[in-house]
Amino acid sequence: MTDLLWTVGPPFLLLNGVLIFVTYLTLLERKFAARLQSRVGPYEVGRPHGWLQPIADAVKLLLKEDIVPAAADRAVYNLAPIVFLVPAFLMYAAIPFARGWALADLEIGLVFVLAVSSLEVVGLFMCGWGSNNKYALLSAMRAVNQIISYEVPFILVALVPVVLTGSLRLSTIVDAQQGLLGWFVFYPGLGQLAFVAFVILALASENRIPFDIVEAESELVAGFRVEYSGMKFALIQLAEFVHLFGVACLGTLLFLGGWLGPGPAALGPIWFVLKALVLFLVVVWVRWSFIRIRVDQILALSWKVFLPASVVLLLAAGAVVAAGGGAGA
Amino acid sequence: MPEGGVRTAVRMARAAGTAMAVTLRNLFRTPVTVHYPRVTRPYPERFRGVLALTYDPETGEENCIGCRLCEFICPPQVIKVEMLKAEKRNYAKLFTLELYACEFCELCVQVCPTDAIVMLRTFDLATTDRRELLLDKDRLHALGRQFPPSWATGTGLRAMQAPPARGGAKGEAAKDAAE
Amino acid sequence: MTTPARTVVEYGYGGNERLVMNMGPQHPSAHGVFRMILTLEGETIVGVDPVIGYLHRCHEKLGETLTYVQYPSIASKTDYVSAMTAELCYVRAAEQLGQIDVPKRAQYLRVLAAELQRVASHCLWLGTWCMDMGGALGGGATMFLYCFREREMILDLFEALTGARLLYGFHQVGGTRYDIPAGWADKCRETIAHVEGRLGEYEALLEGNTIFLVRTQGVGVISPALAQEVGVSGPLLRGSGFSHDLRRVEPYSSYEDFAFDVPVETAGDCHARYRVRMQEFRQAIRIVRQALDGLPAGPISSRPGVKSIGQVKLPKGETYARVESARGEVGIYLVSDGSTKPYRMKWRGASFSNLAVAGHILPGHKIADAVAILGSIDPVFGEVDR
Repeated sequence: MTDLLWTVGPPFLLLNGVLIFVTYLTLLERKFAARLQSRVGPYEVGRPHGWLQPIADAVKLLLKEDIVPAAADRAVYNLAPIVFLVPAFLMYAAIPFARGWALADLEIGLVFVLAVSSLEVVGLFMCGWGSNNKYALLSAMRAVNQIISYEVPFILVALVPVVLTGSLRLSTIVDAQQGLLGWFVFYPGLGQLAFVAFVILALASENRIPFDIVEAESELVAGFRVEYSGMKFALIQLAEFVHLFGVACLGTLLFLGGWLGPGPAALGPIWFVLKALVLFLVVVWVRWSFIRIRVDQILALSWKVFLPASVVLLLAAGAVVAAGGGAGA
Repeated sequence: MPEGGVRTAVRMARAAGTAMAVTLRNLFRTPVTVHYPRVTRPYPERFRGVLALTYDPETGEENCIGCRLCEFICPPQVIKVEMLKAEKRNYAKLFTLELYACEFCELCVQVCPTDAIVMLRTFDLATTDRRELLLDKDRLHALGRQFPPSWATGTGLRAMQAPPARGGAKGEAAKDAAE
Repeated sequence: MTTPARTVVEYGYGGNERLVMNMGPQHPSAHGVFRMILTLEGETIVGVDPVIGYLHRCHEKLGETLTYVQYPSIASKTDYVSAMTAELCYVRAAEQLGQIDVPKRAQYLRVLAAELQRVASHCLWLGTWCMDMGGALGGGATMFLYCFREREMILDLFEALTGARLLYGFHQVGGTRYDIPAGWADKCRETIAHVEGRLGEYEALLEGNTIFLVRTQGVGVISPALAQEVGVSGPLLRGSGFSHDLRRVEPYSSYEDFAFDVPVETAGDCHARYRVRMQEFRQAIRIVRQALDGLPAGPISSRPGVKSIGQVKLPKGETYARVESARGEVGIYLVSDGSTKPYRMKWRGASFSNLAVAGHILPGHKIADAVAILGSIDPVFGEVDR
């Protein structure tokens, strides 16, 4: 019995914890964005700071009518949000929140996380295809284009800390970043460049502005999600935020020292979440400061700028390690 | 990396940094939101709000003499007046104003010879039934008692616009009205 | 270049891997109600069929049924974003026909109103353009809210002046209806100083921004020949190299008393039109300051205030009056038969002629450029459809 509890309990807690946390992340984004724009965000629901807004949104979406377009491909249409959601949650299985606090601290942790997060594009395309809608299809095709083009440089840049550490295990990478200046973001030259590249490429692989040509509200009116309403839409929104936070966690682990921070080791998870939140807020800050780039320019940027840059960064990391630098075994 | 590439990259980074700095600066400014309806912003003196009919402050009589000038001048023709003749002066027997079609142009206020119709410093008459926005005479008088009127009255507006007469007396009135 | 006729079935494929897509009247970036039937090849637009008329409200017929004292309040509803210049055009036409003088103070007040309105209108243009390019939920929305924050301050000024925020009824035949209240001049100076400071912030957000430059430079080029052929005006014309500003060419309402520059750019693309409008911001602020400093005393109307519906009667004749609004040349052709109402009144909408250029320059661009180009044309559909 206790065996069963130990098997089911932690994933259950993790999933629900992430779910509730990410729901409130939407509120955080809205309040932060509002303050960037000289206004207050949600205020009335759960006065005075809109604390009940995410719950109100969830209830509203639950109560909405579930419309399926007549000509839609039913199986694909209904399965798509789930296929979109599951890989996002699956990422968290391999992410350690503190020393020993991972569901599965895999030897190849980074590879697992990156591979699973790449499955998102399948769900996205299923959404666009199943909707039987020109706008959705156009958007889905742009998405496939963009995400696939940006996965390669993203992975290469994510490998820079791996090269510096010598291991793919995420907890080892964090252990190699002891001390405040040991964080890879403070690594002279290489660390800053890799971190900036990581943030930009993360934005691109999650369809966040300035790379959100996929949704492009003012052109394609919600793009691949245009035919979804009610709970299915909620699942898609949730999946996007869960994925975003997952990538923020990954960035924390790779560059910001994960759970390391002053104070007792028990504070580890709190430092981790705080750092991930900082990364999340940076992403939100970027989102609300820039206009979007056109699709052909996005692809040109990916293949002509970011791919060579990430290859050069990786080679530089290798050169540094070969010359005796790097951290950890 | 090619020389031009590095310089371009630095320029791009600097531009991106400037943009983000502007947004960050706004993060620390007070929001401009006015938490309506708990807080209302101060409406200026000349605010053209909901219309109302007035009483003479000294005698307590209705100001409206039913002359129908407002009905004729109204561009969307929302006012309907029927005159009631009486001994000393005329009244309006019927005065309806369709507020849902009103343009709030203040022309009716402008032409009124007795300053009977005025606009109030409120706009807040939102309702779920459009029939409540068909204001009849009683409602118009009640609104006039309920809310503060704006500055504009017929005589005031006409005095502001009148060119100075050859004596200069009206010019003085115009200057006073402009103060 | 052949554009598909209106009878073509919409949801069909035109062969050659072409997609006929409707960027319909309800669209977040249609700037109003505007329909474009686009023929796409992949992401590139190869044909445009613009459809207008969704906002037609029979203004020209209204002009025949309403008298000269009633219509100025309605005139503001054609170009509702730049309402002061629309009203100004109508009263100027009436005054031109009736040879009615306008006192100096009224002329300066009109200039003041028109230039403040230009600043407010350009604020709206910049905000909505960035929102179209950036997304209603992204960086564009940030620019939108900043611009509207400043526009609201100017609207507060107008509210203190006339009592209304968008559709003013400020002008009447012979002068203006309202004079400036006490303390307004100081508030006006404060507001425009504030707006001028914020202009610097907008430029910082956009100017060197590579994304912005890449999306606007070389996009939507209107060649000088095309500009003349289609008959565009305003910032579109000045962005293509023509130094043509009605306030210089045919000064009206004492514009000859004011010192201001007419910004001209030669590139003809969206970026050039952006630069022209940003400089127009500053020039308009300059004119407002001069108007406030030099405001003469005197009456605000050469005719007594409106007391009856038939107060203004114009002699028989016809005339064409035009003003330089924020969008370009707004004109009214007025035919009078000697009564209190026009016999015929025709609006020359700046946006109508400006929008016609869209059909010529859109093919060859991507869909994303379509919104950028439409935004830089800055159409207001009240003017297009009337």
